[in-house]
This record gives sequence, C-alpha cells and structure tokens, in this order.
Amino acid sequence: MKDSSSARNYKRFLISAGRQWALIFLVLETLVFIIFARGFFSLKGLQIIFFFSTAIFLLGTAETFVIITGGIDLSVGFIMGFASIVSAKLIVILSNMGISPGLSILIGIIITLLVGLIPGYINGTLVARLKVPSFIATFSMLSITYGISELLIQGVPAKNLPYLANNIGNGYFIYILPGKLVTLFKKPAIVRGEPLIEIIPNVVVFTFLFVFIFSFILKRTKFGQHTYAIGGNIEAAVRAGINVKSHLIKIYMVSSFFSTLAGIMYMLKYVTGKGDAGATFLLDAIVAVVIGGASLYGGIGTVGKTILGCLIIAVLETGLRMMGVPTFEKYIAVGIVLIFAVLIDQFFPELIHKED
Amino acid sequence: MASNTAIPVSAGKERSEIVIIFARNWALFFLIFLTAVFSFTGKGFFSLKNFQNILYLSTIFLLLATAETYVIISGGIDLSVGFVMGLSSVLSAKIMQIMHEALIAGPVTIIILGTLIAIGVSLMPGLINGVLIARYNVPPFIATLGMWGIANGITLKICQGFPVSYLPPGLVELGNGYIVYILPGKAFSFFHKPFGIEDSQIRELIRIIPNAIIFFVVVLSIFWFILNKTKFGQHNYAIGGSKDAAVRAGINVKKHLIIVYTLSSFLAGLAGVFNVFQTGIGNFTPFSAMYELFAIAAVVIGGASLMGGKGRIIGSCIGVILLRLIANGLSIAGVEPFYRFIAVGLILIIAVVIDQLFPDLF
Repeated sequence: MKDSSSARNYKRFLISAGRQWALIFLVLETLVFIIFARGFFSLKGLQIIFFFSTAIFLLGTAETFVIITGGIDLSVGFIMGFASIVSAKLIVILSNMGISPGLSILIGIIITLLVGLIPGYINGTLVARLKVPSFIATFSMLSITYGISELLIQGVPAKNLPYLANNIGNGYFIYILPGKLVTLFKKPAIVRGEPLIEIIPNVVVFTFLFVFIFSFILKRTKFGQHTYAIGGNIEAAVRAGINVKSHLIKIYMVSSFFSTLAGIMYMLKYVTGKGDAGATFLLDAIVAVVIGGASLYGGIGTVGKTILGCLIIAVLETGLRMMGVPTFEKYIAVGIVLIFAVLIDQFFPELIHKED
Repeated sequence: MASNTAIPVSAGKERSEIVIIFARNWALFFLIFLTAVFSFTGKGFFSLKNFQNILYLSTIFLLLATAETYVIISGGIDLSVGFVMGLSSVLSAKIMQIMHEALIAGPVTIIILGTLIAIGVSLMPGLINGVLIARYNVPPFIATLGMWGIANGITLKICQGFPVSYLPPGLVELGNGYIVYILPGKAFSFFHKPFGIEDSQIRELIRIIPNAIIFFVVVLSIFWFILNKTKFGQHNYAIGGSKDAAVRAGINVKKHLIIVYTLSSFLAGLAGVFNVFQTGIGNFTPFSAMYELFAIAAVVIGGASLMGGKGRIIGSCIGVILLRLIANGLSIAGVEPFYRFIAVGLILIIAVVIDQLFPDLF
C-alpha cells in the first residue's frame, strides 16, 4: 500500500517536472554557464544576455500571436532587416535636412513603425481574404521585403546616423555612481576609472515595455480571447460572430509591428541597417514559441511561456559565446533543443493519460 | 460540352476548356510568355548558350525541388534540404581536400570516395527527420527546422566558415564540361575540347549539352518513374491524400514516410556533391540563400498543394526553370538583381491565388 502511494507520488512529481521542464532546463543551463563561462554570473553578463537577444524576444512575441491563430510567419526576420534599413535611411535623410538629431530619430522611428505595418497587412489580406496558406504568403513577403531592402540600400550600408542613435541604443536606463549620484538615461560625466554602475540597457526597456503590453492584450482583452478562439476552432469562431478575416489581418499586423520594432532596435544598437539582419532569428523565434509549449496547430500558447523559451535560447547563445565556443555550435544546440522540446511534448501527454 | 448554353450555376463549375487548359498550365504559358519578353529586353538572351546556361544553373534547384515534391505530396515539408546540401558539399570537398593533400590515392579514386561518403552521410539527416516525423509524430515543419539548425552548425564546424578549396584536378572539367564541342568547319569532339585548339579560337568554340543536363535528366527520370509508375509513388499520393485511408488500406505509412524523408535528404546530398563539381570548391549554405524556400516555391508554382496528395515532378521542373529564367532574364536586361526576390514573391502569390480560384481543376 505504502509502496504504491510513494510510487504514485514519484510519478506525480515526474509529471509536474515534465510540465515545467522548460523552467528546469533554464535553471540547469544557467547553472552550467555560471560554472563554466567566465563573467557570465555578473550584472554585466546578465544584461548582455538581454541586450543581444532583444530580437529573439520581439520576434518570439510576434510569432506567438501568429502561431496561436494556427498560422506561421516566415517573414519576421526580413521585415526586421527591412525596418532597420528604412529607419536608418529615414533618419539620415531627416538629419541631412537640418532637423535636430532627437527629432529626426523620433520621426524616423514613427514613420518606420507605420511603414512596417504594410507587409503585415498584405500578409493578413492574403491569408484571410485570399485563403493563401500562411506559409506561402509570408514566404512571398520574405522574398519581397528582402528585395526591397537590398534595392533601398544598393549594397552600401546606411552610414552617418546621428551619434545620438548610438547613445540611445547602447545607453542604459539607470546610471549609479556609488555614493554620489543616480541619473536616468543620461550618462553622467565621470573621471576615468570611477566605478559607474549601469543598469538595464535602453533597448531592453523598450523591448519589454511592448512585450508586456501585448502580453496583457493577449491575456486579458477580447482581442486576445478571439485570437485563441480562432486558433482553437475557426468554424466555431465564425459562428460565434467573430470577424475572423479582419482579426487575422490585425494579427499579421501585430506580427510585422514587432518585427519592425526588432529592426529599429537593431538600428539603434548597431547604428546601421542590414537587409538580412534578422535572417538567423527566424529559427530562434519559432523554436522559442515551440519550447514555450505552443502548438503549431493553433489555440495554445502564451507570451509569458514564449519569453521563457526565448530566455533558454538567449542564455544558450550568450553562454556559449562567453565560453568562447564558435557560433557554429549554437545552431546545432538550438536545433537539438527544438527537437527535444517537441519530443517532450509528445511523450508527456501519454504519461498524464496513464495517470488518470 | 455546350458551355454557352449551360445555366449560370453550372457555368461556374464547368468553365470553358481554354480557361481550364490555361489555368492548369499557367506556369508553362507564363514561361513561354517571359521567354518572348526577355528575348526583346535582353541582348543574347535568346541563344543556345544562354538557354544551356539557365538549365546548367538550375541543376541543384531541380534536385532540391524533386526532393521537395516527394515530401510535399506526402503531406509534409522539408526545410532542411538547403543545409543538408551545404553539408554534403562541404563534407565531400573536405574529404577530397584531405586525401588530395596527403596524396593517398589518384584523383579519380579520391573524387569517387569523397562523393560516396558525402552522399552516404547525407542520408542521416533524412533518416532522423523521418523517424522523428513518422514514429514520434513530430510535425514535419519542426523536425526539419531542427535539422536545419543542426546541419548548418555541423557544416560550419567542418569548414570553419570558409569555402573548402584545393581539390583534386579534373573535378571542374567534369561538372562544367559539355557533351559535344564543335569548332565550326575545323574540329569536332566529345567530352573534351578538341586537341590542339588555340586560345584565340576558344571564343568560336560551340559547346552543346552540358554534362549537368545529362546528369539531372537521368536522376529526374528515375525519380519521375518511381513517383508515377511504381507502387511506392502511388502510396505517396495515397498518404498525402488521406493518411487514415492509407493506413486502413494496409500501407506501412511510417516506413514509407521514413523512406520519403531519406530520399529527400539523398537528393539534397546529391545536389551538394554536384555543387562541388560545378564550382570546384565546397560551399556552405549561407542564410540568405534560402534554397529550401526557393525549392518549395518552385513546387507550389508547379501545382502542388501544401496539404498533400497533389503535385508533379514535371510541374516542379517548370517552376524551377521559371524562377531561374526570371533571374537570368532580369540580369541580362540589366535590371538590379534584387528585383528577382520581389518577382519570386509575386509569382508565388499568383500561383497560390490561381490555385484558390480554380480549386476543381488540379
């Protein structure tokens, strides 16, 4: 009697562990890197993880919305590159016209955000109104945005952006001079050698601001509910009176909005624009969503869990880089984690059924 | 069929035959139309040399599209072909490079060994894909995306991010050679340039039928035969049409799917090795190459459905040649190469929209 109950407890523990495997994996992975990677476990190391991974977080969020509706968006990476080029070009043009750097950056970003909605609108229209499979529609858009980016840039990266862009992109939210002063956004003038503590890069602040807003929208609003409803059963959603077509168009626009944001972050960080800036992040974004437990058949997934998936990849990539492992291994590692994630999802439902 | 007198309801269903023929073969008509257009816009487009060139450059895409045709008909997708191709290209080149440096054997043995080992190894990703998809029910999109990353990582690890060069001599002659060489009125030879030819005469030399064409015609014929004339091909369509029905009909679906993904990987490996023969170096696949997506695009343009059960190898070939022709025609007309990407995107959309408008035709 006792044996069977302890066995059951053990099994229950395994199941709960299986459900939280992503979290456990993240903790284990972090521990490994703390031990083996130099400088990983420090304020700076922690911030670097987030700083270099803004694109993964943003594109992961974009992909979450689309995957919940049962679609896929392959164009995110190249819309990101497109946006980085458009914003860089616009800012250069505006500042050449004699507008102050701050204003030209602001106007450039706002116009880019608006332009960035166009690919999403077209994707959405193709998918919702013309019934083109999302895979094909967004692949076409990938190709088209890449072509347009390269045409805009003519092989020469955008140069001569105002120095302010660099200050914003590589600046921090809070600066602390221990015992002396605390400033927000503005780097205090310091004597060389003074210990300045920098907390939270600006780009990370912007990134998570939008991620949290949209996480809230997905979780708590009607828009979010409808998104899940469409992904769960599109026929039922139509019968429930949801305007599925216009909703899907909005979803693809959300996706391209986030991709555009990722492009703008890229422009601020590296002070240039590049057509294939986001090419490698497509895999990362989709892997993050799948690790987060979303189903490619739609209806399941949350932004919070995707962020967990993003963290796994971000820690993996940054940790490997800090260990001095060439970036090539990263792709192998991400691929293996992806297959691992799906296999766990395949095996654990079975375990849960046996328990019942 | 008296289409003129039909009542409106059935007129919607039974369109006139010309429309049906056009919609079914729109890619072919579009190909002919573009050939005509490009003949006017670009000097030297309409020539034997250029047409041979288009086919020659299509070789690897034809192989990848054939792989994708098999997988898509079975209702799946294989995103890993581009990087498996890179893997096989780099691996075969690396083997040849090492053996050539160590002077282990003659060039011929080295080339044969490198080719065979690389193709053998490139079966592995497909086998793993197939097992994951068939036995563990991993969605094809995800399994092959994982392999996308793994194959790319291994490739880059082998070549350290640089193309592999210093390969045995004779490789490029094989990949870039022609069947027939004619020096008008003077010389004539098979497989190699006529002996004793002077440098000044090389421009006049007429080359007919690249070896590459023979190579892909043979490979594609075999795969066309398998798909259309054998039980294996029938089963492929059956599984894509309805997996449940295929299981009930007694088809060993799991085994079949594993073979399909392995075949796909085999073709990608073949494309990779051929790439070495064409370029003389082992090329890794850059991220912006997007071979797999172009292959999928060609298959969709060729009339296949991503839902499975539909698709033809000849259609896929027309799709590939259409895409290559656009790239070639635009560059000869002096248009910026980047318009190619835009053109591919637009044509892909047209393909699917036509498929949606005439769902009953295919």
